[in-house]
Formats: sequence, structure tokens, C-alpha cells
Amino acid sequence: MTTTDQVRHALPPTPGTGPGTEDAPALTAAQRRRAARRGLAFQGGSGARILGYAGMVLALLLFFVPLYFIVITSLKTQGDIYSDPISWLPNPFAPENYSYVLSEVRFDRYLRNSIIITAILTVVQVALGVLCAYGLAFLRFPGRNLVFLLVIASLMVPNQVTVISNYALVASWGWRNTFQGIIVPLAAVAFGTFLMRNHFLSLPKEVMEAAELDGTGFGRTLFRVVLPMSWPTLVAFTLITVVTEWNQYLWPFLMSDTDAVAPLPIGLTQLQDNEGLTNWGPVMAATVLTTLPMLVIFLILQKQMIKGLTAGAVKG
Amino acid sequence: MTFSRRSLLGLAGAGSAALALGACAGGETSAGSGGGGEEGDGTIQFWSNHPGSSKDVEQAIIDLWNEENPDTPATLVDGGANYEELGQKFNAALAGGGLPDLIVASDVTWFNFAFTGATTPLDDLWTEAGVDADDIVDTLREDYNYDGKHYGMPFSRSTTLMYFNSDVLGEAGLPTDRGPETWDEFAEWAPRIMDANGGQPALVVPDGSNYLDWYFQGMIWTFGGAYSTEWTPSFTEQGSLDAATFLQEQVAAGHIQIAADANNTFAIGNASGLLQSTGSLGGLTDSAEFPFLTTYLPGPTPGACTGGAGVAVPDGISDERKVNAVRFADFLTNTANTITFSQATGYMPVRKSALEDPEEATYLEENPNAMTAIRQLNENTAPQDNARVFVSGGGQRIGAGLDRIAIGGEDVAAVMEDLQNETQEVIDRDITPNL
Repeated sequence: MTTTDQVRHALPPTPGTGPGTEDAPALTAAQRRRAARRGLAFQGGSGARILGYAGMVLALLLFFVPLYFIVITSLKTQGDIYSDPISWLPNPFAPENYSYVLSEVRFDRYLRNSIIITAILTVVQVALGVLCAYGLAFLRFPGRNLVFLLVIASLMVPNQVTVISNYALVASWGWRNTFQGIIVPLAAVAFGTFLMRNHFLSLPKEVMEAAELDGTGFGRTLFRVVLPMSWPTLVAFTLITVVTEWNQYLWPFLMSDTDAVAPLPIGLTQLQDNEGLTNWGPVMAATVLTTLPMLVIFLILQKQMIKGLTAGAVKG
Repeated sequence: MTFSRRSLLGLAGAGSAALALGACAGGETSAGSGGGGEEGDGTIQFWSNHPGSSKDVEQAIIDLWNEENPDTPATLVDGGANYEELGQKFNAALAGGGLPDLIVASDVTWFNFAFTGATTPLDDLWTEAGVDADDIVDTLREDYNYDGKHYGMPFSRSTTLMYFNSDVLGEAGLPTDRGPETWDEFAEWAPRIMDANGGQPALVVPDGSNYLDWYFQGMIWTFGGAYSTEWTPSFTEQGSLDAATFLQEQVAAGHIQIAADANNTFAIGNASGLLQSTGSLGGLTDSAEFPFLTTYLPGPTPGACTGGAGVAVPDGISDERKVNAVRFADFLTNTANTITFSQATGYMPVRKSALEDPEEATYLEENPNAMTAIRQLNENTAPQDNARVFVSGGGQRIGAGLDRIAIGGEDVAAVMEDLQNETQEVIDRDITPNL
């Protein structure tokens, strides 16, 4: 046996060179082990598959049952809501809860305010988030990492901590009970900057270099190269922003005095009663009406959102 | 991005910097005002949480005011979903400006505002605005007396009441013109009431998140206990322990149910009795599908406490705004308007003249349930204990403790010991140094 043969003998066999593997792709031992495990999970056990589906059904119920109860409660009379045992269908059917909400609370005003606040905040946050992230990802300047650290640090400060100082500042500008008073302090975008910067850094450098070689300007590269490749993450960021701003309560509550600028979550509290008697049917009807726009937006964009959230989770 | 130990330290430093920057923004955060106080825009801002679903009736009264006073119009501001939220909003305004002219201040918030100088004493303003303070029901007016000055005017004032399903009491062969005279008598009545209503609880009481601490206060007094005597907590006294033990036993026996939404539980017949505020009378009258009576809380006297809310004027606004605010508060609670308000909500009229008004007398005669609270005010109530209403966070702290006893079934002595120590700690920290 030559020295070369001795060395070869000491090493593990080259992947794909074993008997009966002439047409098989080259696999390492680790890859073969992983493949075997996958085979067990997906080919071997119908029990495992049933378990998987049972898990999915359980998760579905976990999310669906509360939603179902909100919807059916919105169509129940007060007595039916408290029936014992719980009724799974409205009896009698009480759609008048919805007309009560629309007449009793200025729902149209609150809805209009919510749309204005959410739309402006979403546009501003997405625009600022993308621009900040783009700069932090691709511009080289002194203190860049420090700026990014500050952005992340601001994520660690709970909103409640800065509420009073923000209130004082905004009130001193005479912005109480105005849209700008509600919107401007909420327009900071640390989360979006963080999310988009990390995504931008995961883009292939070659594409950026190619754009540079083609003479594409820095700004044009963002719109023609970077954003088209970032669509899923951008949609996820937009959706998260929309839902967050739609549900804002504390700051708009402190800032708004009347239904001229107050959003829906504040309008909802008008239907609840302290020391009196809350009729939960209309409260749930208003909750359904408040949730509906978010649900529609999510259903339209869910595929993109899931893509965005899992982007980078699998190395391609 | 990977984090080394150095970059993590940097991150911590940056976090501190961000916090410091956040804290630097804004102005001073003291209550009170310097140099004449904050000027308004000529409109009286009334911040209310609309107790007892009173938004419409409040607005109607404001509309009347605006007709009569076009130069100083008032506007109704949604101050929050409850007294606590209104307190938060007012605290933000104290720190940041944009103070209202008049706020609803509840039995548990008015004192802290007065104590910190956030709201102004009203006595001189009453004189200046021509308010007849003697016409205000004495007990209710004196509830806002601190250090010889009054810091609030009664507005939506209540006492705790017992509500009983008359049909069930009749079915059980019990009197239908009165409630139990003592808690021991209630314990005797309870099984009969339950039998007459298919085993449903004899009494439902709101939980600790919904002022169980307020309802239990009358019960603790009748057992010889109290939350406190002046500024000395008395949770661990034998009478207090006996009352808490009684509550726990009654809940365990199924006689009393502690519920988050007690009003609805009673209104749909899932309990035969209810311990609630006078302010619930309007809503229950509209929604209950059976006849019910209101009764005093069990004795021995006093077995109930006053509650609800008054209105207070911020100290940080200009003198002119203060006088206008008091004029408006006087209008809001005058004879005609307190009658309107009380008939719409169930709260008590707050003026003596209202009780002498012929129309109101007729109304009360026709609606004996509304009369119960007024009579009980003179015969069976006492002002609340300091530990609940004057010690910061008192109500919520006691409510949470009572939940542990009644719902959690925890050891009574241990929970009351905790309440004793926690209350004493807050008194030593916040009250004693300033007395």
C-alpha cells in the first residue's frame, strides 16, 4: 500500500462513490443523516403527519374561537350573551347592534380619524424607515455604527417612559387635539429602520456592484434595484405599521379631546359604561367593525407578509 | 450584526443616552403654576368620563349653559373610559400644559390632586362666583374637606346599594320591602334565595378590578373592622379579619359570586341580588327584565360608604378661568340640573333644594328605588377610610387583596398582613413626610 493509499484509507469515502450510487447526487454523511430523518418525518409515519395536522387544527382553534365569539356576540341580545350554557349561535339574531353603534357613537368620525392617522403614519414611517435603513446599510460615514446603536437603543425605551415629556413638548406647540399632535410624536421608526437595514444588508453585493458599474446613482439604485428586491419585507413592515398605528390608544387618548381627531379605539370606550351597565353586543359590533379593515388588508397581503417575515430564514 | 461584549456595553450606554434624551424633552413637571396661571381660549373645558352613561345629559346641561352664557361657552371633553383614565389624562396635562377648567374627580382621586396642589381650594371662589355652598348636601360637601378647605363640589355622588329581585324574595318567602338587616341575616337568607332561583347566587358583587374594595368597606365596618383609622392601617384587626373571612366563606358556599360584570349577571337573572352603586340604577331600570328593589346595606350602622365623584378646578389655570369654572360647576349641579342628572343616571341629587323641589318629591315618591340612596345617606353611611381613598393606589391595592381572598381562596390573615404592610409603607413614604 502506497503512502497515498494509506492516506486515502484513513479518510472517509468521497460522497457519491459508494456501491450503487453511480447516478445518485453526491452526499456527505451529515446530509444522508438529515435526509433519513426527513424520510422518517414525512414518509415513514402517518402518525406524525396526523399529529402535525392536529397541531395545526389546535392552533387554528386557538385563534379562531375568540374571533368567532366576538362576531357572534356582536349579533346577540344582552340576555343571550349571558345565557348558561353558552350558545354558539345568536338566538335571537340581533343585527340591530350594528345600527346602534352607527347611530350611538360617531363611528364615521372615529373611522375617518383612524384612517387619516394610520395612513399618514404608515406613509411617513415606511418612507423614513426605508431611507434611514438605506443610508445605514450602504452609506459609509463616521459614527455610522453609533447611530445604528442609538436606533436599536431607542427600541429598548418603552413608549410610556417618554409620554409625559412628549406631551409637554407637543402641548407647548399648541398641538393638543390636532392630527399633527397625534401623528408627529408617533412618526419615529426605529423598528422599521432596524428591520429594513438588516434586510438590505442581506441583499447580494454583486447586484449593488453591478448597478454601480452601470452608473446608476445612489438614489436611483434604491428605487430601481433595492426596493424591487425587498418587496416582501417592505410589505411585512407596512402591515406591521398599519396594525400598530390602527390600534394606538394611549397617545391619541392623551392628545385628543373630541371626536374631531380621536381614533376608533377611543370611540369604542364610549360604548362601555363605568358604574352603569355595559351592553356588550354593541361593544362587540364596534370591535368587529374596527377589526374588519385590518382583516381585509391582511387577507390581501398575507402571502407577501409571510414571505417577508421568513425572508432570510433560509439560506439560498 | 454580531454583538461583542464591547458593543453590548455600548448599546447599554446608548440606551441610557436615549432615555436621558427622552427625559430632557418637555417642560417642568410640577403641579401648580407660576405667574397667574395658564390662560385658556375662552372656552370652559370640562373633562368628564361620563359616569353612569351620562354623556347625553351632560351635553344637554352644557347646551343650556351655552345658551345662557355665550361669552363663556363650555365644551365637553371625553376624559377617558373611567375615573382612573381621567386621572392619567389630567396628570399628563399637569406636566405638559393644556389644563382643563373643570375635571371629574372621583372619591379616590380628588384627595391626591388636592394634596399635591394640583387642584385649587374652592371656598374663596364660591364667594367670588356667588355660589350658595350651604345648599350643597352637607355630607357630600364635607367629603371634599381637607385641612379646612373644600377641593371639590359633589356631582355624580352615590352610595353603595343592594339590589334584589323582588320576585325571588317573594318566592323565597322573605320580606319584599327591605334587605337583610345584618350580614348574618344575609347568610340565613342566602340558601332560601338560592333555592327560589334555581341555585343561582344570592348576591353578585363586582371584583377587585371593579371596586370590590368600595363595596366591601361597609361590610368591614359592620364587623367592627376598618381599612384604617385616620392614617393608621387596621387590616389586621380582629373585626377586619372576621369580615374578610365572612366574605371568603360566603363565596365558598356559593351565596356570593364575585364577577367582573356583576350588573349584567344580575340584570339577566343569573343572580338574585347585586351589591352596586346608586349610579347603576338608571341602567338596571332600563335593562332588568324583572321587578327589583333597592335596599340599605346590612348594618349595624354605618354599613355603607359614600362614593362617586365630584368636580374640581385645576390650580394651574388663571384666576379668571377658575371663577368661570366654578360658575359653570355651580350651574352643572344647581337644583334643576342635579334633578335632571340624578333622574337620568340614578346618582343622588347633591342640593338640599333639589330634595325639597315638588317635582323631585313626586318623582321620588313614584320611584322608591331612587329614594333609598338619599335616605341611606343620612341613616347608614359614613365617609370612607383613608387607606382606600387618600393613600395612593389604595383602592386598587385593597381590591387586588380582596380578589386573592374571595376568588383565590388565599389565607385571610396573610393577605390582610400584606395589605397592612403595603399600606403602611405608602403612608410612610407619601403621606407622613407631608403631614
